[in-house]
Amino acid sequence: MTNHPGPRREVVVNYAILGVFVASTLLPLLGLVNSALGPPGAGTATLTIPHSLHLGNLTTAWRQGHFSQYMLSSLIVSGGATILCCTFSLLAGYALGTMTFRGREVIFYIFLLGIMVPEEAVIVPLYFDLRSLGLTDTYGSLILPQTAGILSFGIFWMRAFFKTTSPALREAAAMDGASSWTILTRILLPISRPALVTLAMLTFMWTWNEFLLPLVMISTESMRTAPLGLSFFRSEYVTQFSLLSAAALIVAAPVVVLYLFFNRKFIAGMMSGAIKE
Amino acid sequence: MRSAVAHRTWLATALAITVILAGCTPGSTQRSSGPTEGPVETDPAKMGTVTITEWDIRNLPAQSAAQDKLNAAFEAKYPNIKIKRVVKQFTDYERTIKLALSSPKTPDVMQVNQGYGDLAKFVKAGLLLPQDNYAKAYGWTGRYNAALLDQNRMTADGHWGTGQLYGISNQAEVVGLYYNKTLLSKIGLTPPRTLADLQGDLPKIKAAGMLPIQLGTSDINGAIHIFGLIQAVLAGPAAVNDLVFGKGDASWTDQSTLEAARTLQSWATQGYVTPGANGQNGTAMAAEFGKGHGVFMVDGNWSAPQLATQLGPKVGFTVLSKVDGGKPATEGGLSLLWGISSRSKHPDADAAYLNFINSPAAEDVIARGGDLPAVTPSSFKPVSGLQADVYASLQSVVQEGSLLPYLDYTTINFYAVLGANLQELISGRISPESFTKTLQTEYTTAKASR
Amino acid sequence: MGPTTGPGVTATLARSPGAATPARPRRPRPRRRGRLIIPVLYLLPAAVLYALFLLAPLAHTVWISFFSWDGLSLAHWVGIQNYTDALGNPELRSAFLHSLVLIAFYAVLPIAAALVLAGIMVRAPKLRLLGAARVILFLPQVVATVVLATLWAELLGPTGGINQLLKQVGLQGLAKPWLGGFTTALPAVGLIGTWIEVGFCLLLFLAGAAQIPAELYEAARVDGANARQEFFAVTLPGLRGQIVIALTLTVTAALRTFDVIYITTSGGPGTATQVPAFEIYHRAFTIDLVGSACAIGVMLTAIIFALTFLITRLDSGTRI
Repeated sequence: MTNHPGPRREVVVNYAILGVFVASTLLPLLGLVNSALGPPGAGTATLTIPHSLHLGNLTTAWRQGHFSQYMLSSLIVSGGATILCCTFSLLAGYALGTMTFRGREVIFYIFLLGIMVPEEAVIVPLYFDLRSLGLTDTYGSLILPQTAGILSFGIFWMRAFFKTTSPALREAAAMDGASSWTILTRILLPISRPALVTLAMLTFMWTWNEFLLPLVMISTESMRTAPLGLSFFRSEYVTQFSLLSAAALIVAAPVVVLYLFFNRKFIAGMMSGAIKE
Repeated sequence: MRSAVAHRTWLATALAITVILAGCTPGSTQRSSGPTEGPVETDPAKMGTVTITEWDIRNLPAQSAAQDKLNAAFEAKYPNIKIKRVVKQFTDYERTIKLALSSPKTPDVMQVNQGYGDLAKFVKAGLLLPQDNYAKAYGWTGRYNAALLDQNRMTADGHWGTGQLYGISNQAEVVGLYYNKTLLSKIGLTPPRTLADLQGDLPKIKAAGMLPIQLGTSDINGAIHIFGLIQAVLAGPAAVNDLVFGKGDASWTDQSTLEAARTLQSWATQGYVTPGANGQNGTAMAAEFGKGHGVFMVDGNWSAPQLATQLGPKVGFTVLSKVDGGKPATEGGLSLLWGISSRSKHPDADAAYLNFINSPAAEDVIARGGDLPAVTPSSFKPVSGLQADVYASLQSVVQEGSLLPYLDYTTINFYAVLGANLQELISGRISPESFTKTLQTEYTTAKASR
Repeated sequence: MGPTTGPGVTATLARSPGAATPARPRRPRPRRRGRLIIPVLYLLPAAVLYALFLLAPLAHTVWISFFSWDGLSLAHWVGIQNYTDALGNPELRSAFLHSLVLIAFYAVLPIAAALVLAGIMVRAPKLRLLGAARVILFLPQVVATVVLATLWAELLGPTGGINQLLKQVGLQGLAKPWLGGFTTALPAVGLIGTWIEVGFCLLLFLAGAAQIPAELYEAARVDGANARQEFFAVTLPGLRGQIVIALTLTVTAALRTFDVIYITTSGGPGTATQVPAFEIYHRAFTIDLVGSACAIGVMLTAIIFALTFLITRLDSGTRI
């Protein structure tokens, strides 16, 4: 950005523009929160701020919508996928980012391919194949495909990190007799924490928000993930927005809370390469 | 060079695995079909500890309470059997029931929509257990109107209306015309008895500044019901039965159906139905009518309990005939049948449960909840004037044999095709002629592949 | 499954993954075979999972697309008939056309708006509160699409927030059921997409603009360039990388729209908001046309690949 000090008017214009966008982004979301925490029984969204905070909608939605089950289910899926994805990406990224061997670039590009493959294309055979194996309606049917899909990004991300590690450091350790595993776990793992945390956050978010895969794979009620539960809840209570918005809030909350605490990591991860920390 | 070989080996292996995995022709000829003969256990107390998972669409408050009551009563009587209930709103249910039935963790007992849309699909796929042996053991066949019960029959290769019995229904359904008595009398009108009566009322209501017909079609059902009602009256039972069951030479392009399409479109273009009806779903439609917006509404008896609460004595229900004193005709029939999954591990327990929720005692609970049982209990006393109207309407059409199947039963895709085209018809984007032509094309294509 | 807006593509396109490793001094190497085993072991878990749950299903989709299959009985071979049927089916063609419309709303509109705004804002000194603004502007990318669609279905409803707002400002006549009208439904869905993507694009471009060297602007100013000329000469070329990223992500998001359609319109009214992803779901899991669904899936993938490739071509400087 230029250091040329602009006239006062430009500053005002800039704040105005930013303000408009912030407002247009925030207002609908605030409306959601407003309805959720407002008096029960409201049919439609409204921006009139209630006099007091009502937690009734949240408790009713939680109970009637069986969200305790669904949130737990989402936790299992997102937790499992995050652990798996981070581990596999770490290992693969380590190999691709620090070792030289034939076919290294080809393998990397094959992994990258997955980023462009839409899940809508693979979900059909995935469902029928898993069904013939009796594996639909399981947590694995949600965890494994999603992990595979996110591996593309995860491996790219960890490989990029490993490329920033000093080869001299690694070679010195190797000459001291350290195995590749020791180098990874003793030397590199500790400094890879920031990269891993970002990957974990993003994986958690993407898997938590996923809708199509659970819609197709899961029929057992207790195994529904939170967004899936919300869609069924909506059909039942579409005319009671106060209740519906409370449910929506519950579903969105975990990821939003994580995001508010770690927003720099989220944004950096999703815009990686475009901004410098 | 070694590395190039290694390279190619990897590639080759990967390709080989992929080809092998993909190399099988999808699907199989094997189908599971349950036992249809043999003795069955009918005493639940002797069945050991069992959990029955049931899926149903009884999500509206009054019906849901009744279903919960039935389940609780069953559990109380047979403590060795637990009922796990999963209830979903109708559209969501329709979208997910097939996936659920195909899942390894299939529900044991579930409601299934009759016709070529669902029942044929599931029977052909071998997902449902034929229940003739249970019908014999429990004496179900004698209790129901034979013509209506035939709608729960399907042959193994997917011909509807005959063959094995795949379930019984504990409720009846009828679609009719709700009317707001207060609003009607404000304009000095009496409840219509014929379609012509209704047509005459509409401009008068509009002139008085009120909404003639409350309509919501975004989730399709409302559109099918209002069109079905008009077509039932204009085309008559024989024609509609032939069309839906796929018999005879009836065509969707026949004059009477075309007339029905013209009528519906003209109502929309002249502003007799909710403007923007395509943007409102059935639940909202009933809610609006319950608030007093709209003099008429075409809907099924399932909305009656809620409307009775909201409007009390102000609301009535009727069915229409073509001419004064003629046969009334409308859509309806037995409610979704209760099926048993062909892979249920305890079909005897399932059948015992079904017998329980279809028993006269159960019908009584359903009736008290404000809904329509399939077989009227002898102790039946309407809990509201509205329920009395609904019951009387049902009786009148059942007696005349003019309770006609829902139109979406016609083909596997008819729900979507009819629904989408009705929305276009109502908004004036297609002509009644091209509407009926599209339906006829879908109909003949599906019939040819049977 | 997978990054919903493909942010990984951001990473892919922004960095050059093929950076050469520095030359290493010659050292005695252990046997070749040993060198291969170690990386293979590290790659194995990821590779197996990836092959089983992404590559194999992808190949399988292509395979099934050549059959007519109802999902249960034996399929029969039909060659490319599913493809020709899809191309000849007016409803499917319009589904793809609707995707184009959505691209306009998800991609073109937000990017154009964000570019103009970034161009305006770049001339001012650093803004305070940008950090807080950034957190808020990024929120739509973080909240589940199902939640956002639920919110917007309500706002766009007949008595929803938007119509209420119109009533308040006296524009009662403009109020209509946005998601229920044949001509308004698709744009309404599109506008939801615009809302979701515009904050992200703005942030991306602001960040990118911050990296444009000040000297370039000064040089332009010395040459007498006005604001517009500065924009086209300095800002726009400088943001080329970010534009490529934004285009790729938003175009992919538009083509893969499913959640929003499922929650708000289910493809209706009529088939006004039918999109390829929803067609795939409908065909495979509701009306038993699995082969056809796979064919559409293949076509969708091919289109995404092709468009992504074309978009990266825009920035000749980006190496992939």
